[in-house]
Amino acid sequence: MTPSPDAPSRPETGRTASADVPSVADPIVAAATTPSQQFAARSGRAPGGGAGRLLRGLWSNLWRLWFFVTVLVLWWVLSADSTSTFFPPLRDIAQSLYDTWIAGEARSDLWSSLRHFAVGYTIAGVLGVAVGALLWKFQRIGHAVSPVLYFIYVIPTAALLPAIVAIMGIGSSMKITIIVLAAIWPTMLNTLDGMRGIEPLRLDTARVLHMSPLATVRSIVLPGAMPQIMAGLRHSLQIGVIMMVVSELIASREGIGFFILEAQQRFAITEMWTGIIVLAVVGSILTFLFIAVERVVLAWYIGARAVEQKG
Amino acid sequence: MTIVDTGWFRIGARVLVVAALLAGWQYLSAAEILDTTSFPSMTATMAEAGRQLQSADLWLAVWETVRGWGLGLLIGCSLAIVVGTLLGLNRFAYLSVIPVIEFLKTVPVIAILPLAIVVWGATLDMKVFLVAFGVFWPLTIQTIYGVRAVDPVVRDTAAVLRLRGLRKFLNVTLPSAAPFIATGLRVAAAVGLILTIIAELIGGAPGLGLSILTSVNAGPSRLPATYAFILFTGVAGVLVTSAFAYLEQRLLHWHESQRNAAAKAA
Repeated sequence: MTPSPDAPSRPETGRTASADVPSVADPIVAAATTPSQQFAARSGRAPGGGAGRLLRGLWSNLWRLWFFVTVLVLWWVLSADSTSTFFPPLRDIAQSLYDTWIAGEARSDLWSSLRHFAVGYTIAGVLGVAVGALLWKFQRIGHAVSPVLYFIYVIPTAALLPAIVAIMGIGSSMKITIIVLAAIWPTMLNTLDGMRGIEPLRLDTARVLHMSPLATVRSIVLPGAMPQIMAGLRHSLQIGVIMMVVSELIASREGIGFFILEAQQRFAITEMWTGIIVLAVVGSILTFLFIAVERVVLAWYIGARAVEQKG
Repeated sequence: MTIVDTGWFRIGARVLVVAALLAGWQYLSAAEILDTTSFPSMTATMAEAGRQLQSADLWLAVWETVRGWGLGLLIGCSLAIVVGTLLGLNRFAYLSVIPVIEFLKTVPVIAILPLAIVVWGATLDMKVFLVAFGVFWPLTIQTIYGVRAVDPVVRDTAAVLRLRGLRKFLNVTLPSAAPFIATGLRVAAAVGLILTIIAELIGGAPGLGLSILTSVNAGPSRLPATYAFILFTGVAGVLVTSAFAYLEQRLLHWHESQRNAAAKAA
């Protein structure tokens, strides 16, 4: 897939919601992920230059947060006198958030979750890219095994959880396995799709120039497939976080999911809310970290897109 | 073109791989390399699956799952399409709300499940809420972008022709947004099914997820049933995914993204 300016604006026909790479045109929207770029680009915001542009961009976008702030303030005010069991005042939640997660012991749950996630996600990412690349390289084998892969892919991985618990018991290996099993697919399928999308002409050129396989991979295959590999990795990240929590909710003695579940069973609703908020924050921080990495890795691509969009 | 690339050979290879896998599974459990207390044999699983197909319990569980999934999808998707369209049509609203929605999209939906369980218990409502909540955010974003993705030339043409109001919406906005919404719906259907199963597994609402859980808890003798239920869940996933992909192709055959796909396939 050559990065033509309008390519990602078409809904992709692939299996995962993928063809989305952040653009430079619109800081807040782009920082917050997804297919936003083409709209930012089309809405014709005049790009300025350098730091002044960044500052101006930040300022002109800051007002947009009013709605976000309003929602939070409304929640605070409306829940202030709440006597509902399920929706305690936001002030109490904030207080309890500080007591348990910052001053208290619950941090160990957070680290436990993050550790499993980090290991599982890394394995899923590496395996996903590797297997995707192999399936691309050996297309006939890939074709033959595709129905089996597809079937495993569409089984909701959570359904496998009880079986995996029965096989592996409760523990780190079970959690990591479930994260890998669920998170590997988007990366793998997007790697395969991205590599299939490389122009055959480029590969033929490499062959004519007698480039070594390594050089071909480095200068043609990887750059060509990178935008889609990153899209797959981002999707994998979200699924990885979900499965991290699900595995802790079903069978565990530690982790954020366990904390939430345990608070829920004690009917400590305020504490349960703090767990939910921590989970939400962790999920979004991981996503934003990923976007930051993606911008570095795909800097050349984003730059090329910006030039094309201006032209 | 060699024999390896003929259609029959390809199909044959696929069938062969599936058969080899099943045979391998059977061999491993017959040779007791796989621990039979945690991994039943292929024939036992298939026999159990065949028995389940004739039992009312399975169909009841399937019905519960489909009901939760369908209702949640219906509510979540209709809300998302209406809200997304309204937001997409107004630039001020769109710019204001996007940061909130983009943030909420990064929040793992599953975070809200414990709350739903406390509020509704192990009921259909809980499932429906989780599915509706889970599919709402991504589809809303997709709809907003679809509504805003009108081709500039088409938009200008509409302006020149003085198309306004409902006519502009039906003839310009909707056709351009339709493929975006269709993609969003296809993803939402798959995500919705996953969420339904998770809600049943963790929340204990009746359905395929709960059947898996109870059969696991019933001990090793019921293990084939567990794997049979997992197989059925997989089949449900295949059906949902292919049905939506097929519908998307049929309903949007006029759109260029589908035309390109068709050209590529030819």
